[in-house]
Amino acid sequence: MTRQLPFIEAIREALREEMIHDDKVFLVGQDIRGAIYPHTKGLVDEFGPDRVVDTPISESGMYGMASGAALQGYRPVVDFMFGGFTYVTFSEATVTTGQQYFLHGSKSNMPLVITAGVGAGMRLANDHSMAIHGTFAHHPGIKVAMPSTPYDAKGMFKAAIRDNSPVVIPWHMALMMDKGEVPDEDYVVPLGKADIKREGADVTVVANSQQLKFALQVAEKLDGEISVEVFDPRSFVPFDMDLLLTSLAKTSRLVIVDEDWESGGFAATLSARVMEQGFDLLDAPVLRVTFPNMPIPGGVLEPRVMPNPERIEAAIRAVME
Amino acid sequence: MDANPPVRELAMSISNTALTIEDRKLLFTNLLRADEYDRTMYKRMMSGKLLGFYHPGEGAIAPGIGAATFLNQDDVLSPHHRAHGMAHALAKGVDLKPYLAEHTGKAGGCSEGRSSFHMSFPEHKIYMFSGFIGFNFAPAVGYGYAAKLSGKGQVVMMCSGDGSYGQGRAHEAMLMAQNMKLPIIFWCENNGLAIHAEASEMHPMPDISSLADGYGMPKRIVDGQDVFACAEAAREAIDHAREGKGPMFVECKTLRLKEHDIGTPDLIGSTPRSKEDILKQAEREPVKLAMQKVLADGLFTMDEIDDLRTAARAEVEAAWDWADAQPFPEDGEAELMTHVFAPNAEDAA
Ligand SMILES: Cc1ncc(C[n+]2csc(CCOP(=O)(O)OP(=O)(O)O)c2C)c(N)n1
Repeated sequence: MTRQLPFIEAIREALREEMIHDDKVFLVGQDIRGAIYPHTKGLVDEFGPDRVVDTPISESGMYGMASGAALQGYRPVVDFMFGGFTYVTFSEATVTTGQQYFLHGSKSNMPLVITAGVGAGMRLANDHSMAIHGTFAHHPGIKVAMPSTPYDAKGMFKAAIRDNSPVVIPWHMALMMDKGEVPDEDYVVPLGKADIKREGADVTVVANSQQLKFALQVAEKLDGEISVEVFDPRSFVPFDMDLLLTSLAKTSRLVIVDEDWESGGFAATLSARVMEQGFDLLDAPVLRVTFPNMPIPGGVLEPRVMPNPERIEAAIRAVME
Repeated sequence: MDANPPVRELAMSISNTALTIEDRKLLFTNLLRADEYDRTMYKRMMSGKLLGFYHPGEGAIAPGIGAATFLNQDDVLSPHHRAHGMAHALAKGVDLKPYLAEHTGKAGGCSEGRSSFHMSFPEHKIYMFSGFIGFNFAPAVGYGYAAKLSGKGQVVMMCSGDGSYGQGRAHEAMLMAQNMKLPIIFWCENNGLAIHAEASEMHPMPDISSLADGYGMPKRIVDGQDVFACAEAAREAIDHAREGKGPMFVECKTLRLKEHDIGTPDLIGSTPRSKEDILKQAEREPVKLAMQKVLADGLFTMDEIDDLRTAARAEVEAAWDWADAQPFPEDGEAELMTHVFAPNAEDAA
């Protein structure tokens, strides 16, 4: 059986079921009892304030606390409200926790999850709009994933909580109320498994979250003219290279859409990997649609520089030439 | 929450901090201006005519006026984010127009329409406003250090809320400021709340200013609803810092009469804030209190107060008219890219 659930409600179900399933799971963040976003709504009533922990505005403390508790056998989920706030605890979130397992002789697991609302579109300017997946993907030892549908959200959050390594799993605020099918029974979407969200023959478009929605709109619009395959990586680290190469064997053209900066972003990494591992499959150079390397402006300027359906369509047309 | 927060230690040494009649008139006028500004921002946001979000200042505008009205122009001001800092800024002489234009995304905005709520008034020594709570502590140490090096007697007014003292950088900044005896006022506007979190739960001591004790930093606690008391405390701290005696901590006990930001439910923890509590707190609304004082002290008649109100309203309305008449910026990506880095001298050639 399945039901229609909003995206944010699917995340809430994952958190709730994992808290029931494993009493080592707890949530920590700011204002999560009152629920700034609905994914933590009511959880304090069910699980109490020891498992739904509101902290002072102490991001480093909050994250560092989670890492210490993880080493003591707990499985914390750290909620940062907005993705940008993870930058406040940069060394803890990237260097110390991400490198702990390897540099300390593969002896201790670090099962913790970072989540936060992310994404452009609200015209709030950089602090509240910037992406974090590419930055975390740059640092070894951290898994990074981002769901695009309610089904993926529930399954991927469950996989993240059950994982024995740090997992960064932001969710895009533009998807919050999107509805989709979610099964009744327990399931996970394994980290590292991509998904073809639409089959096509002429060009592969890699896109995720809000940009996946845009890519699907464009694919629909071009139907009958250009056959677009829409590839949702779902997880950036580990990345499902096999599925992407299979797709490219069919389409031989690639556009990578990433709601992140052009420089040093995930799209750049992926483009380089395709050159290294799939060059012979390609009939055209890889194209990227990203934010230009400027602080994300607010106001009316945001849509002028943001990846959007027009830019995606233009890239598809260019790569087909 | 207690509607009348206990004020244990009021601003003292009235001698050199005492306010003249003109000072008090100016404070009252600024309070009315900030109040009018805040009301129109609230209305605009409610009717969808403001970009981004708005964190209403109702009940909490007196500390900003007290902190900034008597700063010198070359003192550095770092406003608290509530009401997006404009109570503080207008008290330091900042014109409302470019801020209103910014908050509506216009080309005439103080940040060229790039920033929604971020104010940028370096010409008034207001810098780097950010949406990250606690962003201003460490830069304040730098403003203070530069002030010390330049020896011109500048001070730094570093304003923020109770919640911001959860950030480690607050403590790093207090440590460094006290070690180096920097001219910084740690100005804490304690409204008892940070979104849904009560200060009484998030801080172990009832007064945030207790933190100053650990650094040997002098502190004052004032009634943040009383704009005159705030200003006296600010003056004392400013004098202390200007004389080279180092930082001072001032805690203003204030209130929040609206939700944290418009649209966010007004909760404590996960339960709605009691309407009666808010009504009780509203009795200590700062404009109301100040009005009682100025009337009782014979500073203004009721007619004069009405005139001041009308003038404040006219100022704010004129600023909105100006902002509304501004065009949206025309910049596209290529033009914007030329503003990511500051040019060097050789770039001009
Ligand atoms: C680094 C960071 N963490 C969290 C937030 C979300 N946030 C915005 S305002 C706020 C509460 C601030 O409380 P306080 O400093 O007491 O000021 P108040 O809003 O109560 O006036 C929080 C948690 C943020 N903007 N930045």
